Amino acid sequence: MNFIVIGCGRVGADLAFRLFKNGHQVVVVDQAQEAFSRLDPDFRGRTTEGDLLSLGALQRSGIETADGVAVVTNSDTVNAVIGHAIRTHFPQVRQVVVRNYDPAMREMQEAFGLQLVSSTAWGAERLQELLIDPSFRAVFSAGNGEVELYELLIDSLWEGRPLKDLMSACGEAGVVVALTRAGRAELPSAAQVFRNGDILTVGASLEGIQALRTRLQSGPEA
Amino acid sequence: MFVFIAGGGRTGAQLASQLISQSYEVRLVEHRRELLARLHQELPTEVIFEGVATDPKVLREAGLERANVVVACTAEDPSNLVICYLARTLFQVNRTIARVNNPRDAWLFDDKFCVDEKITQADVMAHLIQEEMSMGDMMTLLKLRRGRYSLVEEKVPPGAKAIGISLKELGLPDSCVIAAIIRRGQIILPRGNATLEEFDEVLAITDAEGASRLAELLAPPVYPERPRKPKA
Repeated sequence: MNFIVIGCGRVGADLAFRLFKNGHQVVVVDQAQEAFSRLDPDFRGRTTEGDLLSLGALQRSGIETADGVAVVTNSDTVNAVIGHAIRTHFPQVRQVVVRNYDPAMREMQEAFGLQLVSSTAWGAERLQELLIDPSFRAVFSAGNGEVELYELLIDSLWEGRPLKDLMSACGEAGVVVALTRAGRAELPSAAQVFRNGDILTVGASLEGIQALRTRLQSGPEA
Repeated sequence: MFVFIAGGGRTGAQLASQLISQSYEVRLVEHRRELLARLHQELPTEVIFEGVATDPKVLREAGLERANVVVACTAEDPSNLVICYLARTLFQVNRTIARVNNPRDAWLFDDKFCVDEKITQADVMAHLIQEEMSMGDMMTLLKLRRGRYSLVEEKVPPGAKAIGISLKELGLPDSCVIAAIIRRGQIILPRGNATLEEFDEVLAITDAEGASRLAELLAPPVYPERPRKPKA
């Protein structure tokens, strides 16, 4: 597929190289020629130097035939403007993803309805989880880590108890995604009874998973 | 009327003080420390709001919701675009005006970013200079309907072609109407048979074509003598 990476900082250079290694056509755009020195020496995509907001630079990068564009400069305002301009002027581009740099600028970027990736917020969220409890092993992060999927191991403490007794601990801060028993997953009902060794996959916020952990360890209420 | 100005550079500050002197309610948002010190000397404290104007929280706290007009005149084109877009989509502001710093960015300033009116500094200057060159002493008092028509004023110099000819015979195009003549301090509302005298001041509502025809009729017959610069 054809991808354009706008902004060749650390994120842009790394992303461009990953896409290239996976066999895609990649064009990297930056306003400073020296930024391209961040690219891996084995990168064989195209680079284009130009004023990022100019129509000419976008056209030179092949925007008309691009499948997806990542806008990853270190200015949140520039990212939002380029993202919105591409979505409105070049609606045939299937996917536009924009980087969020300063979490304080999230609300502004969200107002444009853009797909955002915030490495700062996501990284901070993961660091916080690991500091609070290293056993919180998230298997998947949604959005920028606001909601994650966790695997919980059910032990003998919960043998014979219904699922709803555990899930009531987190209220609306978590939902059950699957119950895996002997390698087979199913969508359990609230009345489903646990067996020792079950693995419960839940989607939860950080508060939600903390509440579930506490209940899981203290055991069902008598 | 409440006018919300984003950006306290020279343009924003000048606009704010002009509007205040015409008793508009004004709020100006700026975050750069070095500018804020100067702004506080030039403008009343309650007019200035310190914060980043591309942040919806700042806009909310600064009262953008109540604004009738937002003027985005920061030195950054992306910021001006974002401010107009947020003003319309989050705060339902009726009218947005944005400054274009770099003419190369001008293509972005349209309804896609909710910009009602864009002002390109370089364009405006070039336009004004061109007008000045072609129109002699004609002065534009007011632009009407987004600039297609203007209210202009010009003094009739001695020896101008138009002197002594009735207005209806001046051959002015339909797009040019002489609205008033100021003669010795009195306003005359002219009819078609009125004639111009030297030193009259003529007020006309006209488009560009009418203005150039009028300028021709009111031009002095030959180049007037001008004081020349002494040669060095």
